[in-house]
Amino acid sequence: MTVRLRDLSACFHGIIPSIMATCSKDGEPNVTYISQVYYLDESHVALSCQFFNKTRINVGENPQAFVQVHDPVTFEAYELDLRFVRSETSGPTFESMSVRIQAIASQTGMSGVFRLLSADLYEVVAVRKLEELLSATPADAPKPLPVTDHRSELRALQVVSERLNRAVDLESLLSSFLVALGEELGFDHAMILLPDEARERLFTVASSGYGESGVGAEVAFGDGLIGTVAREKKILRTSDLGGDLRYGRAIRGEVTGSSLAHVLTPEIALPGLADARSHLAIPLLVQDRLVAVLAVESKSPLGFEEWHEAFLHIVGNQAAIALDRMIEDEEVGPPSFVRAPSLPPASRRSRALKFYQSDDCVFVDDEYLIRNVPARILWKLLKTHTAEGRIEFTNRELRLDPWLGLPPVKDNLESRLILLRKRLEEKCPDIRIPSCGRGHFRLEIDCVLDLKEI
Amino acid sequence: MISEELTAFIESGVSILVGTRDHANRPYGMRGVGVRASADRKSLTVLLPDATGKRALADVRDNGRVAFTFTRPIDHRSIQLKGAVTSVRAATDEERRQAEKYIDDWAGHVEVVGLPRALGSRLACWPSTAVTVRIESVFHQTPGPSAGARVTGNP
Repeated sequence: MTVRLRDLSACFHGIIPSIMATCSKDGEPNVTYISQVYYLDESHVALSCQFFNKTRINVGENPQAFVQVHDPVTFEAYELDLRFVRSETSGPTFESMSVRIQAIASQTGMSGVFRLLSADLYEVVAVRKLEELLSATPADAPKPLPVTDHRSELRALQVVSERLNRAVDLESLLSSFLVALGEELGFDHAMILLPDEARERLFTVASSGYGESGVGAEVAFGDGLIGTVAREKKILRTSDLGGDLRYGRAIRGEVTGSSLAHVLTPEIALPGLADARSHLAIPLLVQDRLVAVLAVESKSPLGFEEWHEAFLHIVGNQAAIALDRMIEDEEVGPPSFVRAPSLPPASRRSRALKFYQSDDCVFVDDEYLIRNVPARILWKLLKTHTAEGRIEFTNRELRLDPWLGLPPVKDNLESRLILLRKRLEEKCPDIRIPSCGRGHFRLEIDCVLDLKEI
Repeated sequence: MISEELTAFIESGVSILVGTRDHANRPYGMRGVGVRASADRKSLTVLLPDATGKRALADVRDNGRVAFTFTRPIDHRSIQLKGAVTSVRAATDEERRQAEKYIDDWAGHVEVVGLPRALGSRLACWPSTAVTVRIESVFHQTPGPSAGARVTGNP
């Protein structure tokens, strides 16, 4: 039975390893598993060369090769007779395979060992279904995946786009973006991370579909799937069933060179499904500048297909522009005066807040709260409040304070305030910083403050 | 001779890949559905289903060169053995039971890494042909920098 290569897209996710056979010029066969066959076009595939092994030596002297790929849902197999064309060490095919392999390497602590030497291109000489591999089909055998209805996704795209346009500030933009991704496009587990001031780390600013929000969790550029996407500014999609390619675990932000490292290390875990089987992370770019990373997960090994990537690209472009505009916008509106009811003084509890200068972080009642710029912002607000009794603040005065270390342009202030607001909600709800109109916010304190600098 | 430890690994229901080539050095690969080492541990007899084994069986009848790779799905431990075919014959009833037990064991191995048992156990194994190969060389095949290195202490 003749088959078109493009009909086998499910076989090219690397979910079930493929069998590869080659033969030396002296007629010695070699057979091995390979983790993934990459579809290039109707008559070409690429295989990754990570080690200069027997397979690679054989195709150098005898270009004839063979692979058997499996459909991960039905387990049916397809046979491809191949002819080695060339090895590429640069260019788009190499780059996209390399990014994927770097992410795996970094995630499994194998950076440097596990890297792409070349993308090996093969011409597909013949494709066949392997008949009678499986015994007779029982009535409840899995059916191949249905073809996606792209028209309904186009409508969803329109809805997402409208929601992005309606958002009035960064916080509502982030939350409506995540809600729209879940409701309209079915991405139920998602998070958004923004680069920090030094552009060395990302911090989680919003998430949906996780028990713990993970807001504040950090990832270094280049670390794991998300860090790799940030550094390379390239989309990454992975699916896997197991072994050394298993991604489905949370990465924790690391604290290096710190005397408090032992205390800080478990600070905030990145949100993640313990049983995630597919991951997709996309850089949100404006021109070539990274604005954010959007990461989504699914419990299905085939959770994400090419069309997901395509849709997220479109949505991501719109979100990037909207996010960038919100982050940059200096506009200050009139303050609004809606005040949450505060507790009567008699029922106020005492909260011990400590600012550790050497580690640039704040602990509340001996529990880690926040660090870096948002920690300094909180400390400034609390000290100003204690000294002057003020409760109204503006973004502008924070920008003008050199101690906070905000860069003169394209600062992250709004996103830092969101992060601080959410961390307070989770760890210290007696202190709140609600927004009261663009560029204004208020400090609400329902506890007795016990401030210490160490 | 294949070590006792290696023999136990090979016979533990791990994945069996069979590599062959035709008269023009065109390679081919498929799954085997059972394996037994000879008493002297110098040969392996691997079962190939007749339905999927046509091309591989034609290859071994043509030139007798075979490679087997055994892989444990959970940790990718892999070993490749190469050699020359000494016999090709219809599998016996005893070997049919072996093949059925193999499918059961193998479906258990791959279930651990996520292939539903109901699917794995559907791998057809009968009727089969038994291919016996005298082992000439053994290679490490676990993915990594040492993949392809010859295992010392074996033929």
